[in-house]
Amino acid sequence: MASHRGEAKLIAGGQSLMPMLNFRLLDPALLVDISRLPDLAQITASGRGITVGAGVCHHALMRSPELAERLPIINHTMQYVAHMAIRNRGTIGGSLAHGDPAAELPLLAVLLDADIHITGPAGDRTARAEDFFLAPLTTDLSEDEILTAVTFPNLAAGSGWGFEEIARRTGDFALAGAGAVLTLHHGVIADVRLAMMGVDETPRRLPAIEAMLLGRAWDAGVRASAVRQVREQVNPMSDLQASADYRRHLAGVVAGRALDTAWAKGHMP
Amino acid sequence: MQDDARPKLIGSRVQRLEDPRLLTGAGGFVDDIQLAHTLHVALVRSDHAHARILTIDVSAVEALPGVLGVYTADDFSAKPLHATSRMKGYQSTGITALADGKVRYVGEAIAAVVAESRYIAEDAASLITVDYAPLPDLVDPRIAAASNVLLHEHHDSNILVSRKFARGDVAEAFANASVRVKDSFRFHRKTPLAIENRSYLADFNKGKQALTLYSSTQVPGVIRDALAEILAMPGHSVRVVAPDVGGGFGGKASLYPEEILVSLLSRRLGQPVKWTSDRLEDLLTTSQAFDETIDAELAVDKDGRLLGLKAEILGDVGAYSIYPWTAALEPMQVAGFLPGPYQLANYQAEVVAVATNKTPAGPYRGVGRPAAAFVLERLIDMAAKRLDLDPVEMRRRNLVQPHQFPYRTGSGIVWDQSGFTECLELACKGVDYPAFQAERNTARQAGRWFGVGVASYAELTGIGSRMSAAPGMPINTGTETATVEIDASGAVRATFGVASHGQGLETTLAQIVADELGVPVDGVQVIHGDSAAVTHSTGTYASRSAVLAGGAAHLSGQAVRAKVLEAAAFMLEADADDLDIEDGIISERGTNKTLSLAEVGRAVYSEMGRFPLDMRAELDLRATKFYDPEFGTTTSATHIAAVEIDPETFIVTVKRFLVAEDCGRLINPMIVDGQVHGGIVQGIGAALFEEVVHDQNGQALSASLVDYVAPSAAEVPKLEVLHLDTAARGTLGGYRGMGEGGTIGAPAAIANAITDALSHLNINISQLPATPERIYRLVTQAIEGDT
Ligand SMILES: Cc1cc2nc3c(=O)[nH]c(=O)nc-3n(C[C@H](O)[C@H](O)[C@H](O)COP(=O)(O)OP(=O)(O)OC[C@H]3O[C@@H](n4cnc5c(N)ncnc54)[C@H](O)[C@@H]3O)c2cc1C
Repeated sequence: MASHRGEAKLIAGGQSLMPMLNFRLLDPALLVDISRLPDLAQITASGRGITVGAGVCHHALMRSPELAERLPIINHTMQYVAHMAIRNRGTIGGSLAHGDPAAELPLLAVLLDADIHITGPAGDRTARAEDFFLAPLTTDLSEDEILTAVTFPNLAAGSGWGFEEIARRTGDFALAGAGAVLTLHHGVIADVRLAMMGVDETPRRLPAIEAMLLGRAWDAGVRASAVRQVREQVNPMSDLQASADYRRHLAGVVAGRALDTAWAKGHMP
Repeated sequence: MQDDARPKLIGSRVQRLEDPRLLTGAGGFVDDIQLAHTLHVALVRSDHAHARILTIDVSAVEALPGVLGVYTADDFSAKPLHATSRMKGYQSTGITALADGKVRYVGEAIAAVVAESRYIAEDAASLITVDYAPLPDLVDPRIAAASNVLLHEHHDSNILVSRKFARGDVAEAFANASVRVKDSFRFHRKTPLAIENRSYLADFNKGKQALTLYSSTQVPGVIRDALAEILAMPGHSVRVVAPDVGGGFGGKASLYPEEILVSLLSRRLGQPVKWTSDRLEDLLTTSQAFDETIDAELAVDKDGRLLGLKAEILGDVGAYSIYPWTAALEPMQVAGFLPGPYQLANYQAEVVAVATNKTPAGPYRGVGRPAAAFVLERLIDMAAKRLDLDPVEMRRRNLVQPHQFPYRTGSGIVWDQSGFTECLELACKGVDYPAFQAERNTARQAGRWFGVGVASYAELTGIGSRMSAAPGMPINTGTETATVEIDASGAVRATFGVASHGQGLETTLAQIVADELGVPVDGVQVIHGDSAAVTHSTGTYASRSAVLAGGAAHLSGQAVRAKVLEAAAFMLEADADDLDIEDGIISERGTNKTLSLAEVGRAVYSEMGRFPLDMRAELDLRATKFYDPEFGTTTSATHIAAVEIDPETFIVTVKRFLVAEDCGRLINPMIVDGQVHGGIVQGIGAALFEEVVHDQNGQALSASLVDYVAPSAAEVPKLEVLHLDTAARGTLGGYRGMGEGGTIGAPAAIANAITDALSHLNINISQLPATPERIYRLVTQAIEGDT
């Protein structure tokens, strides 16, 4: 990578890179295949959370028993990623490095405060997910760096969670998506995170709404104002599938539904 | 056939004989064919919708290793071929291999790079620069119709076809009406989207001065005749072979510039030349469909009887009048089929087909009828609502009744006996219509946006020689041929001019031949899709193959059976009338004398001395027959759909879909079901998902399968199909064509169901596809309008 700086590309599952090569959007002189590196294909649990190697494929994440126990929101959300054949090839590292604003893994990383582990000629470093995604298809990775793993911290005990997305067809990139995690104390929201995808340049949290929800019960009035505020705070783009107006509308819908589920799950024993 | 007790293959769910090959990857498509020394083509395509070509700079390419040459229109002298028509005032356009001096749509081919591999050819093509002088992009057909800027300089205007016709007294019908309903309907542009992209391989044999074109075409016979003309070669020296073809849906039923191009190049270079479309090229250049605006008004009396119908049809036919069907095909068929399967005496229509700077439009599954059914079935529901009549009852009162056949429609089409009312009743029974409505009402009361929609339609299929497959087209497509032969080993071969591209004709036609001869179905080899195998044919399109080729299969099968029995009678010293054939064994009734087909074959071809001299002149087990159904036959159906709309996201889910149809006698119910299923799925695509979008500069925005959204299995409910299964009276074997119907009824039924689900908001679906974005806008407007 160092000797071909700017001319080389890593290829993992190829599920985003190959279409770009086919459309001649990219024209690298060298492809470095990292799909068979065993060190990148591990899922390891520690006290703090779960670390997933960059080479783990989407399907393995979806089926991981470690995650099912501690972070079932990840298993659940991965079913929305593309189709079986693509989930069998596409990797966690590829999805994060590709940085599609409507992709599920970047959203999960931001929602769950993940740490992204990176190695390069200058050594190892760790980036916070929130700082990692810079613009559509643009991340904090430099050309000679490799994303090696991502650590998802454990959720607080008793957390409720929800994920919702709207796509035109099963397996398509979402027109809008939202993830929510919350904990309750004495029947009100004690801690909450809400993140959106597909409705901004990058996946992002909505801190003002999170702050508004603290100390409240998720009732019809709070719900209506949260939905309204989501629509005010996102900046979606128009494309052939959906106008910015319609995406803005959907952003409210998915955020409301994700919080509905999180609230309901937060009440379960 | 005399022995009717014998178990019949016709009517049974015989497994498709082609499937083991296709499903195990052992099929052979054009791109699979590897000929030694094949050269590959990549095309430089226009990124302007309308421009004059100033210069084409190929200097960067010529030195590239592996490149054999770059060709432009200047390199060929072949004259453009025109799709002609008898229609008054029709203006034709010419088709050439490459754009000559001017481009008329984005994607039109300008230059061809020939190289040792496709990779090299594509790399080279990307280095060629074209200098354009832009011309005004005529993207809106209304503007194009009025514009002084002409797409084709030899034309008087951009209007390629303009026709008016009227029948009965429309003015009086409207004056007497209790209810008049009207709307402006829009069916947006669609592309056929076959799984296999178009692919052509030309192989010119210098020694024989003969060309073979392997083409992913539905119409090898049409292409052969066209190429013979363009290349100025005798027909016997041009052979067009359609091997396994991965779907067509009309998109492979016309002549394409690339077919001409590879043929010219192979003749010039003396080597095989191949071009295979990629998906981007397919979305830019394969003929597209629909794209009509239809202003229509329906007059109805107080009992819901249809009195009169008026329509203005504006068709956007794209840049060229497609060969051989012409630009009249789709919009004229809309006008022709608009009166539907109903008693409707007073009808007037105006059709205008306008050339624009878009991909040429061409035939697409259902041709004209999906749009016609959408408009009329919407109008009928609108009128029913005004009269507070149930949509089924409204149709019941107006469908042509059994005693009224043959019935001449307001547009002059004649419906022969077909199960119009029977299909409606069968569909209602199939869904248990009262229970179905109750379910809808319960869902509504619970606040769900749930709707039910009905659509009835009729279509002409298996068109014979008295009719024209495309309005005004001078080529008559009214016959098909079949040759059945038994060789010295007793094996049966049946050769057809049609070209199966997914329909399962290798099975259905074998079923007919096998029944006629009394042999096992897998013992019949079906040859199709090869222009050299028959004297003349056109191909497979317009729901014609089962009717026409099936009829010819019956005739030639019967003729060969008679020859077999004559020879066997002589050999067994029996009377031919006393002989049966079963499982390839000929036996004399009441005796134990038998002969196998192989024994007869061997005797006829290798031991001819066993037969008297005067028998020998006709002593082959072979017959060729043609079948012409003369008029064609009417296929009809009723579709019923239930949909649910998410009131927050406006995503439509098809909850249930049932078809009751009359396609005459079923040759193979499993294949019929498959054809109907596939048609419905394309209809769901047309109703909810698929749309070719151009911007104001004629740039195709839906140029990948991310942006051109076709339904996948997950978007399709379980499909229920019921058949009348009664023999058509007018065709041999009693068959009617059934390849297109699914696509005709589904958009209309779904549009009606969505409108029903939105009835509390008084929203009419008048544009398809009804995407969530469109429904979002309609609902937002309705709610804002209310407050
Ligand atoms: C039809 C289809 C539908 C899809 N739908 C969805 C969907 O709904 N949601 C969704 O999230 N995704 C979707 N995807 C994308 C899919 O999830 C991809 O697998 C994923 O985005 C990229 O992973 P990959 O391993 O295939 O990466 P590759 O395609 O191999 O690489 C992608 C990019 O990441 C870089 N890269 C890869 N690995 C690393 C690494 N370890 N370190 C640094 N850079 C690296 C590559 O150089 C390249 O730039 C879809 C893809 C297809 C084809």
